[in-house]
Amino acid sequence: MSADKSQLHTSHATEPLGLSNTIPMPSLDPQTPITDSKRPPGPWQILWKKFSHNPYAMIGLVVLLFFVVVGLLAPFITKYDPAAIDLMFANLQPGAGGHLLGTDELGRDILSRLLFSTRISLLIGFSVALSSVAIGTVIGAVSGYFGGWADTISMRIVDVMNSVPTLFLNILVLAIFGSQIKYMILILALTSWMSIARLVRGTFLQLREMQYVEAARAIGVSSWGIIFRHLLRNASFPIIVNATLMVGGAILSESALSYLGLGIQAPATSWGLMLSNAQEFMLVDPKQALYPGLCILLVVLAVNFIGDGIRDALDPRQQATKSRRRLDQWRKNYSKSEN
Amino acid sequence: MTEYLIRRVLQSVLVIFLITVLTFLLIHAAPGGPTQVMLSPGLSPEIFKQQAKNLGLDQPIPVQYVRWIGDMVQGDLGYTFKNHLAVSGLLWPRIGNTFILMGAAWLVSLLIAIPWGIYNSTKVYGLSDQTASFISYLGFALPTFWFGILLQQWFSLKLNWFPLSDMYSRGHEGDIGDLFMHLVLPVTVLSLGFLASYMKYARASMLEVLDQDYIRTARAKGVKERKVVFHHALRNALIPIITILGLDLPILVAGAALTENVFNWPGMGRWFVEMASAREYSVLMAVTIVTAVMVVIGNLLADILYAVVDPRVKLGKQGGGTA
Repeated sequence: MSADKSQLHTSHATEPLGLSNTIPMPSLDPQTPITDSKRPPGPWQILWKKFSHNPYAMIGLVVLLFFVVVGLLAPFITKYDPAAIDLMFANLQPGAGGHLLGTDELGRDILSRLLFSTRISLLIGFSVALSSVAIGTVIGAVSGYFGGWADTISMRIVDVMNSVPTLFLNILVLAIFGSQIKYMILILALTSWMSIARLVRGTFLQLREMQYVEAARAIGVSSWGIIFRHLLRNASFPIIVNATLMVGGAILSESALSYLGLGIQAPATSWGLMLSNAQEFMLVDPKQALYPGLCILLVVLAVNFIGDGIRDALDPRQQATKSRRRLDQWRKNYSKSEN
Repeated sequence: MTEYLIRRVLQSVLVIFLITVLTFLLIHAAPGGPTQVMLSPGLSPEIFKQQAKNLGLDQPIPVQYVRWIGDMVQGDLGYTFKNHLAVSGLLWPRIGNTFILMGAAWLVSLLIAIPWGIYNSTKVYGLSDQTASFISYLGFALPTFWFGILLQQWFSLKLNWFPLSDMYSRGHEGDIGDLFMHLVLPVTVLSLGFLASYMKYARASMLEVLDQDYIRTARAKGVKERKVVFHHALRNALIPIITILGLDLPILVAGAALTENVFNWPGMGRWFVEMASAREYSVLMAVTIVTAVMVVIGNLLADILYAVVDPRVKLGKQGGGTA
């Protein structure tokens, strides 16, 4: 009994400790043992507490998790190959012949196409967000920390990338190098890192003259050590918010490029590709256009809700919003009674 | 002011130069180069070489770049591989068509978004404000082309109210009424996206100004709320909005590729996609650069406009921050 309990305790205690390695917690010394009942909540716990009280954010999280699970388990959910063409069973109505959502004009099972498209969309969404965070962080850090020429050059690159029409550049690159997923991820990342670079640069400009940075420099920490260990952590939360919103943008871009015929190519499947098919056969089967679009909308909404949820949870003023509203109310009533 | 102007203009020229280099290098990084696309693969290598020589592709890359940029500056945007047509002749009418579509959408969304955003800023968290924020969420998450397809299904195939696609019905070219009917659906699609962001900007910008001390002073001395909002607050709130509009000007040319494809609108975006599939490199280069130049000029105009409208902008300093 007591052994069970202690095990429970240790397993519980290790998790926050493991997390605390990744974020600065000045009030906590990782060496001292922590009794978890008296332990002050860390920033991640505060974040989660606020986040979990936001209904929109939680709905977004549930929807996103649903799509992730469905995408991962796609081969186990459906017995149909999304690319299998069977003209004998083309244009089946929903439910007919064991096809839950029916089949398209080539007899491909619509449900399994939707399921396998989930994989592509999420893969592209998350890889693009991660790669642009990597690119944007490095460029923003270099330009914000070192300043001078590095800054001028980086900011000109940002100007150039912001001035090139993104969709055109995406199309251009895919037309030149061919429509492969790796090129798509690459070009989407290369056209969306600028906001993160600006954000990181701004944080660094603000913080690089702080005394703790000076102290770190004085004891001989290298520039990169200061950048990654001391400065970047201060930008980590806004980066997370930005990256989350980027996932939605990347999913939209992927579906748009696939719709235009420059993204995912047939035997593979994607929501955008399905929509471009559906538009062609709009007169035969109008329902086909409904499902893939709905999937895109749901996933992007979910991701955006999560991003907004994190941003609101990080905003220290957010707690004050309610009371401020109440204050306004009170002020209004007060001024009325005065009149 | 002049010093600031000169520096901004020089900066813009530099950015444009870098964009041309980027585009040029991209095209020349194409596997096999432009000749690979023009000629059928079965021909002998000599013919490829001859063709490359005719096009000046045997010259070193910097020489080719200088020659190409020289033509560009003189308004010669190159020729299509197929049929050998001048790109500039094909480009401008399409820009015009896109401009009609985007201009209409822009106007519609501005006329709705700015007043609505201002109204919402005076009644934060009210029903109208909640509706607006719902629309904003939708506008940011809805795939425009899907929205377009749904509108087509409902309003042209089912209800038959508006034409399915194209700019004019056959035999009605140049007919304004016909054009209007064709505009309704694509403009609806495009406006939703614009509406989402402009409403947000207008509201946020108004809220920021309404929070300032001079507004409180105005209220304290008994100025009527209507006058506070429209006279005192609106003037300052409009400044950032004007900047955003300036930054968005180039979207008028570049931003409609998807909608144009859905509605088969003969504009620049649809043309670009078509030409990308056909690998008409000179067209792709020309369109990319023309749009990029417009973006840069739009940004420049926005900056200048901002400085002109807001006397608090300190010129000459980095970027010019507000006091």
